[in-house]
Amino acid sequence: MSAHPAGERVDPRDAALRRAVAALETIVLGKPRQIRLCLACLLARGHLLIEDVPGVGKTTLTHALAHVLGLAWQRVQFTSDLLPADIIGVSVFDRATQQFRFRNGPIFTQLLLADEVNRASPRTQSALLEAMEERQVSVDLTTYRLPDPFFVVATENPHEELGTFALPESQLDRFLMRITLGYPEARFERELLTTGERRDLLSGMDPALDAASVVRLQQAVRAVHVSDPLLDYVQTLIQRTRERADLKLGLSPRAGQGLIRAAQAWAYLSERPAVLPEDVQAVLPSVAAHRLEQREPAGAVDGESLAAELMKRVPVPI
Amino acid sequence: MSGPPRALGWTAAALLGGVLLQVDRTPLWATVTACVCAAWSIAGAARRVRLPGRTLTGALALALIAAVAAMYRTLNGLEAATTLLAAMGSVKLLEARTRRDRYIVIGAGLFLLFAACLARQSLPCAPLYAAQLWLCCSAMLVSAHPGSTLGERAAVRLAARSLLLALPLAVLGFLFVPRLSGSLWALPATGAATTGLSDTLTPGSISDLSESPDPALRAWFEGAPPPPEERYWRGPVLYDFDGYTWSRPPPQWFESAPQATAARGAYRYRVTLEPSAERWWLALDTVDAAPSGAVRLTSDRVLLGARPVTEPISYAAVSDTRARDPTPLTPSARAGDLQLPAARNPRSVQLGRRLRRDAGSDAQFVRSVLELFRTGGFRYTLTPPPLGANSVDDFLFGARSGFCGHFASAFVLLMRAGGVPARVVTGYLGGQWNRIGGYLLVRESDAHAWAEVWLSGRGWTRVDPTGVVAPERLRSGIDEFLPGAESTSARLLLDVPGIASLRDAWDAANAWWTNEVVGFDSRAQLGLLRRLGVAAPGPAALAWALALCLTAWLAVLGWQLGRVPGEPRPDRLARAYRRLCVKLARAGVPRAADQGPATYAESVARRRPDLAAVARRLLECYAELRFGPAREAGDASRLADLERAIARWRVSPPRRSARGSRGKRSAASARG
Repeated sequence: MSAHPAGERVDPRDAALRRAVAALETIVLGKPRQIRLCLACLLARGHLLIEDVPGVGKTTLTHALAHVLGLAWQRVQFTSDLLPADIIGVSVFDRATQQFRFRNGPIFTQLLLADEVNRASPRTQSALLEAMEERQVSVDLTTYRLPDPFFVVATENPHEELGTFALPESQLDRFLMRITLGYPEARFERELLTTGERRDLLSGMDPALDAASVVRLQQAVRAVHVSDPLLDYVQTLIQRTRERADLKLGLSPRAGQGLIRAAQAWAYLSERPAVLPEDVQAVLPSVAAHRLEQREPAGAVDGESLAAELMKRVPVPI
Repeated sequence: MSGPPRALGWTAAALLGGVLLQVDRTPLWATVTACVCAAWSIAGAARRVRLPGRTLTGALALALIAAVAAMYRTLNGLEAATTLLAAMGSVKLLEARTRRDRYIVIGAGLFLLFAACLARQSLPCAPLYAAQLWLCCSAMLVSAHPGSTLGERAAVRLAARSLLLALPLAVLGFLFVPRLSGSLWALPATGAATTGLSDTLTPGSISDLSESPDPALRAWFEGAPPPPEERYWRGPVLYDFDGYTWSRPPPQWFESAPQATAARGAYRYRVTLEPSAERWWLALDTVDAAPSGAVRLTSDRVLLGARPVTEPISYAAVSDTRARDPTPLTPSARAGDLQLPAARNPRSVQLGRRLRRDAGSDAQFVRSVLELFRTGGFRYTLTPPPLGANSVDDFLFGARSGFCGHFASAFVLLMRAGGVPARVVTGYLGGQWNRIGGYLLVRESDAHAWAEVWLSGRGWTRVDPTGVVAPERLRSGIDEFLPGAESTSARLLLDVPGIASLRDAWDAANAWWTNEVVGFDSRAQLGLLRRLGVAAPGPAALAWALALCLTAWLAVLGWQLGRVPGEPRPDRLARAYRRLCVKLARAGVPRAADQGPATYAESVARRRPDLAAVARRLLECYAELRFGPAREAGDASRLADLERAIARWRVSPPRRSARGSRGKRSAASARG
């Protein structure tokens, strides 16, 4: 199928999507690229990790995403004493029926905001991360399916901070993207300083989408055409990361699948009928950076620079 | 092994490879030292033993230098320098800790290879040299990447690839870098001559040669080769006899022979002479003229080179096997040709005088002496008993067994005793016809000595007394000499299936190598240019040819490098896209390799807004065709449309950028 047949550019769904982008841009100022990455990640059915120092708007962005997408959402503040049951739920004994009854935890929602996910103990982290991968939870021999769509938008503080447990590679791999926000530009910062709390704006705003339209958008994204030359390009990119002897790990096949899905979503957001190398390049740093790490002696280079270097090295197919 | 020990292992291997190439030219202790040092350094790097300190390595180095100096009495010259290099490389291996140290040792391995090339250039060596070169390059790559960034297998493969890429360059250099006509590489040769004819003949000397299967010369004939009994290859002619040894007066005693004109029926041929460290250029008896300016034809029809033959040489010659020169001898020459040592071999001298008295003429005298050899119980053997100071007496009246040297020596002495001028000629007799290469191979084992007597009216006449005693020596292997001759007893031996032709093929390959590769000199270079159609071959033409071929090779290489290896050849769409990119690059917006069509359109819009609309349309069309879903029907015509649109699009060159002109103006005003 072609999402954009020639001549007919605007689809009602796209209009809603554009409204969503515009709404997000009014809440989170000066970060259009990050906003589009977040949307691309969610449209690609991926979980999102936002990493940055406190106070640059991580939580604001996640709240805005939940609100604008029109999804049911829950927020969990991760702390070092948070237990898996606090997320997944717990079986309680019901005196009336003389039975154990499972009380759903906050994870039973469409969008879970996991704030400061790296403050929780590894045990709690892994409970969340299993649910992310399987899209279901198992408690007391019973499996409960999570709703569809189901997203986790997690925020974390940089690893160097006190009181954090770094997410291991295997769990980082479950996040399709990791993005950083960074400090705002001076003119946007000025606006932030004058207008005050951005989250207050949300209450006056209607959701641009709802759960059903998000699912439809996800289906449309999967139908964006991926050509053979583009698959060659992605394979070359992945292969290069595996050939480099100075990297701990190359990109996994899961990362490759995620890269393609994210590129499809980016192409869809850019209103393109097919994925171009540019779409891969646009999402690659966010998809690959948290999965690439240099070996010990030369660990100075971070994932973003590695991804950027990777893109410079691999010529696009012509 | 990992890290530095791994690199060290390769380094040691590179050095040992170089040392082993020279194993027969350097003393045994040098090889042993290299092996010990290699083992020591590897064990030291693996922390199994302690490595020597600075003092010990210094002392070891000094001791080795002293050993080389003591052995060769010099540190100069190829062999001494080779030994020194092997020894110093070994010591350096003991203190090879850094990458730079390892490079130095590998460099020594390469220099040893270079020295080996100077010393020996035969065909069997070539694969060994190539292997050593490969080993050194691999070792260098492993040393350059001591971590795990480049695996050993990858390093070996990369070295092979690099060498193969360099091969055409090497061939070009081989063909077209002008050769010096003098021999730059002829280093002062040390040590004894390997084999070959010397200018003396003692009773045992020829039998040394008889045991050597090495080739002495090869000859290609125009037309049929001479029959076996005429294959006398003339070497030094010996006059002076001290009763035991025949020798030749110094070269300046001989005048140059007048140039003769080739008679009808003369043999025209080309000889490739193997190095012998002697000055003789062998030619079929008797040669007409000196084949080149580097050689002189002496009055006794011997070709005497200006310098010893230290590398294979090739020359064309014309010989008339039936030539006669009846010019009378001058009295002084005659006296020389009759000279005999006083009071040596008295019985033989007496015998000679008696036989001459009994014979009616000189010719009759010759016949009676030959008859003596035939009927006197003489035996041809390559292992004769030793002879005393009166060697001819011992031979004629005692042992009665010997080989060509003994018979020639005895015959000439008898002739001189009877008053007939006579001399000993050494050289080679015979040769083996190589059916595959179509040439005559003469080996060192074909060395021979015969006699010449001066008969009035006929001049110098060849007499081969060996032929009387052992006629088969003259005809040995007669059948195989003749191409196409059928079935006799000798053939049966050689007709073990395949063996003979295998041997012939191997020798033909060696001959080709010697002639065409090792012997590719400036003359051959100019010949090649002439065949390529250059009217006036010369150094300038060579330089042009080299430059042209290099440019062509670089172009091919550049084109190859421009393509991603393993990628299929660009299709029509890719070619069209490349043309578009070239046009836009001329317009001042080159495409970066990591730029896709959409970002490229953006940079065009930024830098050439005037072209943006058309460029965007073309680039979008390309992107749809390349990355969009295939549509069976429309794509072909859309591709054709795109090709046409790109071909028709006229792009104006970039205007001089505003910043550039402003910069110039400000520079001008600053000057003002």
